[in-house]
Amino acid sequence: MLLPKFEFHEPASIQEAIELKKKYRTDARLLAGGTDLLVHLKKKLITTDHVISLLRIKDLGQIKNNKESVEIGACVTMARLSESKVIQENFCAIKAGADNLGTHLIRNRATLGGNVCNASPAADTICSLIVYQAHALLESTDGKRELPIESFFMSPGKTDIRDNEILTGFKLSIPGKNCGAHYIQLGKRKSSEINIVNVASFIQFDPSDQTIMNSRIALGSVAATPIRSFHAEKILQNKKASESLFYEAGEAARHKDCKPIDDFRGTADYRKAMIGVLTKRTLDAAFKQVQAQ
Amino acid sequence: MKKIINVTINNKPCELAVESNQTLADLLRYDFGLTGTKKGCDTGDCGACTVILDGDTVNSCLVLAVQADGSMVETIEGLSNEDGLHPLQKAFVEKGAIQCGFCSPGMIMSAKNLLDKNDNPSDWEIKEGISGNLCRCTGYQKIFEAISSQCSKPNSDINPNINQGGPHGKI
Ligand SMILES: Cc1cc2nc3c(=O)[nH]c(=O)nc-3n(C[C@H](O)[C@H](O)[C@H](O)COP(=O)(O)OP(=O)(O)OC[C@H]3O[C@@H](n4cnc5c(N)ncnc54)[C@H](O)[C@@H]3O)c2cc1C
Ligand code: FES
Ligand code: FES
Repeated sequence: MLLPKFEFHEPASIQEAIELKKKYRTDARLLAGGTDLLVHLKKKLITTDHVISLLRIKDLGQIKNNKESVEIGACVTMARLSESKVIQENFCAIKAGADNLGTHLIRNRATLGGNVCNASPAADTICSLIVYQAHALLESTDGKRELPIESFFMSPGKTDIRDNEILTGFKLSIPGKNCGAHYIQLGKRKSSEINIVNVASFIQFDPSDQTIMNSRIALGSVAATPIRSFHAEKILQNKKASESLFYEAGEAARHKDCKPIDDFRGTADYRKAMIGVLTKRTLDAAFKQVQAQ
Repeated sequence: MKKIINVTINNKPCELAVESNQTLADLLRYDFGLTGTKKGCDTGDCGACTVILDGDTVNSCLVLAVQADGSMVETIEGLSNEDGLHPLQKAFVEKGAIQCGFCSPGMIMSAKNLLDKNDNPSDWEIKEGISGNLCRCTGYQKIFEAISSQCSKPNSDINPNINQGGPHGKI
């Protein structure tokens, strides 16, 4: 399959990149790992006159630990996320997604920024970013902007990024003690599969009596964008953690929060049933983490 | 528009002009005649085009040749030397891990990279390490045995259950 002809740009700094983006706007596509963009170009799903590669910009490839928060550069790969100590220790739901995205070959190239900007409702990192309340860091020649990741997605493949902007990274507060989180994806096989459904959960406990002070649950592959499961979260609020409570939350997610479609990967009913199961399992796992602390 | 790149392929530095829309797989195959690197799907699904780029395996069909500027690339042709085949290549032959051979270069590059990073991977790590490489012929078992035989402590008790549980994040 031939790639269409385009002019290739390789800026060495964010400044250069945003100037190029300002100049070419929608005539240019940003290239990170290329595991979505090059496939879409080869399949002629999109065209472009200019490709701006971000991979030579060192700042975008870093994970910065600022003690209370972490900044993950847009071009950090899945393989790097999986290996990173700060991620392993504080954001295991992100690690669980990064560990399982695509194949090991894809994970060596695929970036977090690319996964988010590709904006698939089935993407393997977005649900976790939502439950950790990550902020997307955007930059253009007009300045910088920070957006809660939850409001970043408009529809499949479409985000709130402006024509002259690039995503430079993500800011995440490090969860304190008594917090647990987990992410599970369900595919037909273990490797290189588009998810049938995927769920991330985060819970924060009151250490004195193990009641749930705070929770966030995000569901993937059941709507046009990944969504929050507010009914399930409400059920957990101020209750003592237990298996039956987690089951009840799963049932709320299944019946009240998701509106999946039928397709060749699974029927809507199957997806709903699995949302119930995965919600319960991610909550169980998150609770076990807190107990083990 | 052509760009000049400097790239080291199998330890040989070279400078050449490439089209911006040319992939690394095409550069290797058409400009260098290194046709050991195969193209199956051309979209990242099959792993036939696996090469090692700066120490990490990649699908060379999803890397632009211009992106390899300043990089080291290892292909299947770089494994053998004047003494003959690489031990991993020999193991593939001896264990019958090759049938049509189309997947073999990519499979061997993934296996080599896995063993370069960890000379004693677990059964699970071996299977995970070649999970990006599809084989339509062998059923994988003999490939698994060939790689297993090259671990620093070869595992005599090979577990034939390819579906054993994975790391977390999966059902
Ligand atoms: C075989 C295969 C298996 C896959 N399996 C999975 C899977 O299991 N789960 C999953 O979630 N995904 C999967 N993917 C999709 C893809 O690998 C991921 O979405 C990946 O994270 C994309 O990252 P990238 O760096 O390759 O993005 P690119 O392809 O470089 O870019 C993707 C999009 O984002 C834009 N973009 C990239 N970076 C920025 C930035 N910094 N600012 C603004 N826009 C930007 C690009 O312009 C493009 O539109 C798979 C892909 C393949 C080919
Ligand atoms: S040809 Fe590159 S992955 Fe199939
Ligand atoms: S030997 Fe034929 S594809 Fe693997």
